[in-house]
Amino acid sequence: MEQRVGMDDLLGRIRREIRRRRGEYYGLRGAFWGAVAGFAVLLAKQGVGGTAPWVAGSLVVIGALAGVVYGVARRVGRLDTARVADRAFGLHDRVATTLEWGERADRTSLVDALVADTLARVQALQIKGVVRHVLPREGRFLPLPVVACLVLALMPPIPLPSGRLPDMLAPGEEEREDRTRSTMLEETTRPLAKDAQKRASFEERDFAQRAGGGGATTAGDLSAIFKDTSLANQRPDFNSFLKKGDERLKMLEQMDRLPDLQSDFTNSQYKMVFRKSKSLTGGLRPNQISPQKLRELLEEMERLGRKGGNWGNDAMEGMEALEGGQTDRALEAMQKALDKMRAMDDAERSGKGLRGGRENERGSRGRERGRGDGMGGDEQDFGEGEGLLPGRGRSGSPKGEATQRLRASPYDVGVEGESRRGRKEGFDTNLTGRAGSMASRLQYLGVIGQYRKMMEDAITREQVPRDYHDQIRNYFQALDER
Amino acid sequence: MSQQDSRVRAFVTAFEALRAEVEKVIVGHHDVITHVLTGLFAGGHVLLEGVPGLGKTLLIKTLSEGLELSFSRVQFTPDLMPADIIGTNIIVEDADGRKHFQFQHGPIFAHILLADEINRATPKTQSALLEGMQEGAVTVGGASRPLPAPFFVLATQNPIEMEGTYPLPEAQLDRFLFKLRVRYPAIDELNAIIDRTTQSRPATVSRVLSGPAVLAFRELIREVPIASHVRDFASAIVMGTHPQWEHSPEVSRRFVRYGASPRGAQALVLGGKVRALAEGRYNVSAEDIKAMASPALRHRVILNFEGEAEGVDTDTLIGQVVEDAEATAVQSREPFLR
Repeated sequence: MEQRVGMDDLLGRIRREIRRRRGEYYGLRGAFWGAVAGFAVLLAKQGVGGTAPWVAGSLVVIGALAGVVYGVARRVGRLDTARVADRAFGLHDRVATTLEWGERADRTSLVDALVADTLARVQALQIKGVVRHVLPREGRFLPLPVVACLVLALMPPIPLPSGRLPDMLAPGEEEREDRTRSTMLEETTRPLAKDAQKRASFEERDFAQRAGGGGATTAGDLSAIFKDTSLANQRPDFNSFLKKGDERLKMLEQMDRLPDLQSDFTNSQYKMVFRKSKSLTGGLRPNQISPQKLRELLEEMERLGRKGGNWGNDAMEGMEALEGGQTDRALEAMQKALDKMRAMDDAERSGKGLRGGRENERGSRGRERGRGDGMGGDEQDFGEGEGLLPGRGRSGSPKGEATQRLRASPYDVGVEGESRRGRKEGFDTNLTGRAGSMASRLQYLGVIGQYRKMMEDAITREQVPRDYHDQIRNYFQALDER
Repeated sequence: MSQQDSRVRAFVTAFEALRAEVEKVIVGHHDVITHVLTGLFAGGHVLLEGVPGLGKTLLIKTLSEGLELSFSRVQFTPDLMPADIIGTNIIVEDADGRKHFQFQHGPIFAHILLADEINRATPKTQSALLEGMQEGAVTVGGASRPLPAPFFVLATQNPIEMEGTYPLPEAQLDRFLFKLRVRYPAIDELNAIIDRTTQSRPATVSRVLSGPAVLAFRELIREVPIASHVRDFASAIVMGTHPQWEHSPEVSRRFVRYGASPRGAQALVLGGKVRALAEGRYNVSAEDIKAMASPALRHRVILNFEGEAEGVDTDTLIGQVVEDAEATAVQSREPFLR
């Protein structure tokens, strides 16, 4: 029994030590949070009054005391204490096993030996401090709030925010501001409907004067107000802005009178379509361009052409070419339509819609040529609606527009002729146009080489049916033999 | 000196004496000898694994010479049959000329059975040992025949020469309390081996322990108390080898296919009890459990494909599981109670 008392004494000592360490631990934590609360109190020293330092100090002490009490009051289990003793004194779990098995009813004789052995070892122990100090995180930072509290306690009270914005006006400006305030007060007392009318006219006049050029800025041109540099050059006066408001902000209230700044950039159909075409074709080869996007652009151009332009047919041709998989032709048609759009845009800009004289004549001729109605001027070698087959005469259904190349040189010729009757179908043809009466300037053998190359390219790139390939090559072969 | 104390002292003396006798012949392998004796007193069987020539068979033979127990040795070969181990009924003729069946005992009917190169026999023959190892009895011709007590199987196997071998199935492995790895001796140990084995007079081993004494010590071992937190530690180690357990360490989740069975926990605690008593203590401590972890669990942890491919060593894995279990047990406590 005396030996059991020795083990209980050991456990009691360790338990007290654990409580002490816990008290230190939680005391430091409590002191830290008390100091934080005290810091807050000292910040509001002006409101709390002269007792603030005492309140803050009391909070620190109360926090520490509360922590200590909490740490000391927490329960310490016997087995936990026994394990601490086992580890601290290297007892190989003897104390814990003894405590656990010593009270059991099914204890064996070996357990008695264990209890005796454990008690003997415990009695021989030199009791020392076994529970380590644990410094909480708050304990490491405790000096910070404590020092801050001391500093705040010694400093004069910090003025508390009043809930209003600080008055940052210079003393000389206050009088002016008062006057402005009274003016605004008067304005706000007027009826609202009349006030809106008068204020608008007043501001327009005022801004026109400020812009420095009354002639340049027409009445109601509010875009000039936003370009007003005199306002931008003014010294920023935040206080004035708050009290009086910026004129430009007032302008924003009149939604219907704001300038449509966006329309300045998009009002030109040509520019819009040109930008789209550039973004579509920029840096890409024809076979790399998205057919879908090209079709969408052509459709848009065609739609615009129907509304009042002469490029609708070009756009339509482009779409047809695109349907046939001929992207090159579609691009050519798009370019043609773009040219026409640009021409119309230029005409509208330069002539302000006025037409007449040589310019008009050229423009209208160009438009007629573009339309391909077969009613060209003297420069044309042959009627465009006549078709390509000679001898057929003027056809009611136009076969399409002749290529630009035919009109590129005065030496280009047209061909006309008649069908020749006989066993095989044939044509008697004559050259027409200016070059018809001239000697040929091109060497046949030189030209035939170029055409053969074009033929090979066409067979490779374009959709020539495979069955016709040999036939076409045989034709060129026959020319060579001849 | 109390009676209990004298029993414990007798055990410690016997343990040390037996170890000293074995160490007269076997050089080095101190841990292996200790674990073999631990297995003997814990009532389990021991599998020794090592390359040829390291003295596995000699260790077992020496141990049998130090005990007053019957000893038989079976060299396992592929053509060995179960009847060659267990025994069989043969027809004998008595003095009257009448013929009848008589059971011819196999080598398994001995206190200590050395199953040399056990993985060279077919699984059918290997399984002949299963019943005897677990139940302490064999069934032949419908009759159950008890094996002599104490019954202690010591098996050896070669880990590198795997051609023509039949690796032991998990069920068979699980019946071994410990699996011990016999490692190559250090140079001073090798010198001592040369001196001892090339002298004219080999060392003689005395019998220091009888069969009943071994059984009495086995009973004593089971009385050793274990604290609940130490038992929990053993359970946490065994569960930590299971990849499915929620608190398993990452190494188990990644490399283990099957963890240790409950027999592993039994082996941990029984081995810990023997170790505690052999050191003169009356209770099992966490250190005892840690010391027994590798021999008790290394053959019970089955690695998955990734573990095999990565060449994970089960001893290292078990070490990490033990560390993790210990850290978890410590960290779950308050700082003042650690």
